[in-house]
Amino acid sequence: MENKVQIDWKNVFKLGFILFAISAVAACCLALTNYVTAGTIEKMNLATNQTARQEVLSEAVDFEEIPAEDLTKIGTEIGLDNPDELVEAYIGKNGNEVVGYTVKTAPQSGYSGEVQVLIGISTDGIVQGVTILEHSETPGLGAQATLPKFKDQYKGLTASEKITVVKSTPVSGSNSIQAITGATITSRAVTLGVNISNEVYQILSK
Amino acid sequence: MNFIKNLTRGIIKENPTFVLVLGMCPTLAVTTSAINGMGMGLATTAVLVGSNVAISALRKVIPNSIRIPAFVVIIASFVTIIGMLMKAYVPALDAALGLFIPLIVVNCVILGRAEAFAFSNGIADSFADGLGMGLGFTLSLTVLGSVREILGAGSIFGLSLFGASYEPVILMILPPGAFLTLGLLMGLINWKKKKA
Repeated sequence: MENKVQIDWKNVFKLGFILFAISAVAACCLALTNYVTAGTIEKMNLATNQTARQEVLSEAVDFEEIPAEDLTKIGTEIGLDNPDELVEAYIGKNGNEVVGYTVKTAPQSGYSGEVQVLIGISTDGIVQGVTILEHSETPGLGAQATLPKFKDQYKGLTASEKITVVKSTPVSGSNSIQAITGATITSRAVTLGVNISNEVYQILSK
Repeated sequence: MNFIKNLTRGIIKENPTFVLVLGMCPTLAVTTSAINGMGMGLATTAVLVGSNVAISALRKVIPNSIRIPAFVVIIASFVTIIGMLMKAYVPALDAALGLFIPLIVVNCVILGRAEAFAFSNGIADSFADGLGMGLGFTLSLTVLGSVREILGAGSIFGLSLFGASYEPVILMILPPGAFLTLGLLMGLINWKKKKA
């Protein structure tokens, strides 16, 4: 004998409707907040980016953006697996003189996804500074990449050679940096960003 | 009277970390230093108070059988809105706490209190419960972070304690250190309780 389960369709629709109403209200609240805040956040990001460029390439006064289509071509030339990893590049100028380049990359291989890395390279091929813009790495571990202790290691390294990551104090002149303890994945992701920038620099400076 | 009771209960007697053992994932992940523990604790407190009040206010509207998905939608929206507002209007606070905000969505202290308290109590009591539980959470995360920072980095709130000659026990700021500290502190609290 078959035992038929009675479904109370009225109740199912009622519950579904209530859940739909709650979700709809939540979605409206989110959309409204996003509408109100998106402009301010965007403006703030632009300002942060400008300050960050100044920070990694302090000699430059003005920055001139490299057009997106040129950047895409450079990306293909250096054989980038994921074109999204190369975000933007600027020529740093002091008056009419080119003093260096800044490149923003977004390696996807961080511990919690994307890590945005900005790097400044002077015309003599020396890394002038590296800064981490946006990331969602673990506080206390990967997030330490934003601290000077880690990111200042890149200063003075040469952009013409690949930078490597080591676990102990690097030998001087070896063009390598020491990984953050317990956050090797983050350290590698940042270094990947720097190495992509270095390749971009080599094409730009030609 | 009840209000005070609801407020203080979460701090020691029903401490969310050491007694209720809720929200372990963010607890273990972020307590690598005292300041991180405190930051995560305070951000969670803000969300917990807000979500407790919201759930308590809506408790008559939400049918019992779909309460969990309703909680999840409300809490996730709440956290996202706080995150966006912070980013836009208090960038300094966002720089300090922004990283913790997405972690709060997955914190079951919030869902746990919504289910165990806010859904069956009034708004004022739920507010007190959220604040108390939040402060208890902050307190235990700060203690955990302090212990790990003192042993693992030789400092507290970033201030160096033992000078340059101190060789830090790096294990303590790595994940095993979180389990060791949590276990020992929990044991200590239970032992104290038994004696009392």
